Amino acid sequence: MDVSNKLAVDRSDAINVGKSIYSLVIVLVLWEIVTQLGMVHYYFLPPLSDIIVRFYEMTLDGTLVHHGYLTVRRALVGLVIACVFGILVGVLSARNRVASWFWDPIIEVGYPVPVIALVPVFLFWFGTGDLAKIILVAIGCFWPVAINVRNATRDVDENLIWSARMMGTSDRQLLRKVIVPASAPGIISGIQIALPISLIITFVFEMVAGGGGLGHIEIQGVRSFDSVQVYATLIAIMILGFILDRALRLIRFRILSWT
Amino acid sequence: MVEGHVTISNLEKVYESGDERTKAIDDLSLEVPSGEFLSVVGPSGCGKSTLLYLVAGFLEESTGTIAVDEQPIEGPGTDRGVVFQDYALFPWRTVMGNVTYGLEQDGVPKEQRRATAQEFIDMMDLDGFEDKYPKELSGGMKQRVALARTLAYDPKILLMDEPFGALDQPLRELLQDHLLEIWRDVEKTVMFITHDVEEAVYLSERVMIMTRHPGTKKTTIEIDVDRTQDREDIIMSDAYTETKNQVWQSLREETQPEAQL
Ligand SMILES: Nc1ncnc2c1ncn2[C@@H]1O[C@H](COP(=O)(O)OP(=O)(O)OP(=O)(O)O)[C@@H](O)[C@H]1O
Ligand SMILES: [Mg+2]
Repeated sequence: MDVSNKLAVDRSDAINVGKSIYSLVIVLVLWEIVTQLGMVHYYFLPPLSDIIVRFYEMTLDGTLVHHGYLTVRRALVGLVIACVFGILVGVLSARNRVASWFWDPIIEVGYPVPVIALVPVFLFWFGTGDLAKIILVAIGCFWPVAINVRNATRDVDENLIWSARMMGTSDRQLLRKVIVPASAPGIISGIQIALPISLIITFVFEMVAGGGGLGHIEIQGVRSFDSVQVYATLIAIMILGFILDRALRLIRFRILSWT
Repeated sequence: MVEGHVTISNLEKVYESGDERTKAIDDLSLEVPSGEFLSVVGPSGCGKSTLLYLVAGFLEESTGTIAVDEQPIEGPGTDRGVVFQDYALFPWRTVMGNVTYGLEQDGVPKEQRRATAQEFIDMMDLDGFEDKYPKELSGGMKQRVALARTLAYDPKILLMDEPFGALDQPLRELLQDHLLEIWRDVEKTVMFITHDVEEAVYLSERVMIMTRHPGTKKTTIEIDVDRTQDREDIIMSDAYTETKNQVWQSLREETQPEAQL
């Protein structure tokens, strides 16, 4: 995944985006034609226009806004918790021998575990409420943040640390004045990788456990054989993911204007 | 003034990474009296940067001692300022931010440190670039920022690792003369690494020639030229030419050992 991509600003980028939108438009038009002609079963794939109308209605009556808010809140609270712990553990295990001895194996083993597999366990432990969802999001997002922060912090150019030391930077100041700014690109990359993971976990948990949220109303659509609702919810989650990703890129662009 | 006197005794440095041991410095002893301008020349890879980093306190000696004013050094300190071969600028700080860093650490008030930094930025011919980030600068400009950054916080010992390597001839000559001015005005001890024999002889009072890897002091040569003269006159003088040839000859024996057989 390319997370360091700057915002598409120059002309050739704009043309590329235009080109990729053409292909998207063709697919969408085909979708509409095929479904209007009745070539596929309505329940299987309803016409795009029906879905857009439903999306519009569900936005107006507040359904998508309310459930979207629930989903985003769980995902972001979990992500923030993961960032706090991930940055802490990542920096520590890069700079401290004992912390590295303790955390490195845990990170290596924990990183590839599909956290989704823990959903049933979490239902046992924490029930179906917000807490269970937020904790699982935090755990799932912790690994990519911790691993990226650790690598970035470990790879800070030694000469930079030396220059700071010779100009009178104490060990304690070193972290704030050199190590954190020098590894900021890696830290933000970790957060960018964790963002979609936070949405996936929230979404899946909501589908399984309910309690509101976009995952919940999507599965409700399935259970009441209302495929239009399923697809309308899907559009909402896609839009949310897109907006959050762009927002993070914007933040990256602002903070890392020096790279 | 008895400050900035460097004493290196029986210094040895062995790099250890895994099973591999590389001896970089072998039994080197050297006195650099307070206020002396000493150049260090030697074949590439002979341990010049290593020697400088040891004196700076970044690396730990394997055996031997390094003392400044009779005090054995303990890690880096603001009494010694390094100009790095590869600049080592803070990429997240602007030119101004880099040059003010040392003064900031020293607790100098904002107005004052900006004024001091500006002085050195102007000296390095970098005015107008104060708000640029290092990535927006050319190699030669970065090198000048690195110089300004180290000069700005006024260390009594300057440790310079090929600081003019990335500059073109006119700029290099300009900065050489600036450096001499500073050295004369504020009496600094300078250890100046270069691979350029002419530069070494033009700038310094004494040149140390190092042997091939693993490096040690081969010899030091006093340079006795009248520095009240202009650059042209110095370069034309017999003393300069003779010393230059002497250093060159000595260095050549190290770089082309087969030639002396
Ligand atoms: N971190 C390191 N680990 C192991 N060996 C090293 C390390 N740094 C340098 N060396 C070795 O030590 C020797 C001296 O290196 P050094 O960088 O001091 O040379 P130098 O004289 O500055 O060369 P140059 O003129 O090319 O800059 C070389 O043989 C090099 O391979
Ligand atoms: Mg070197």
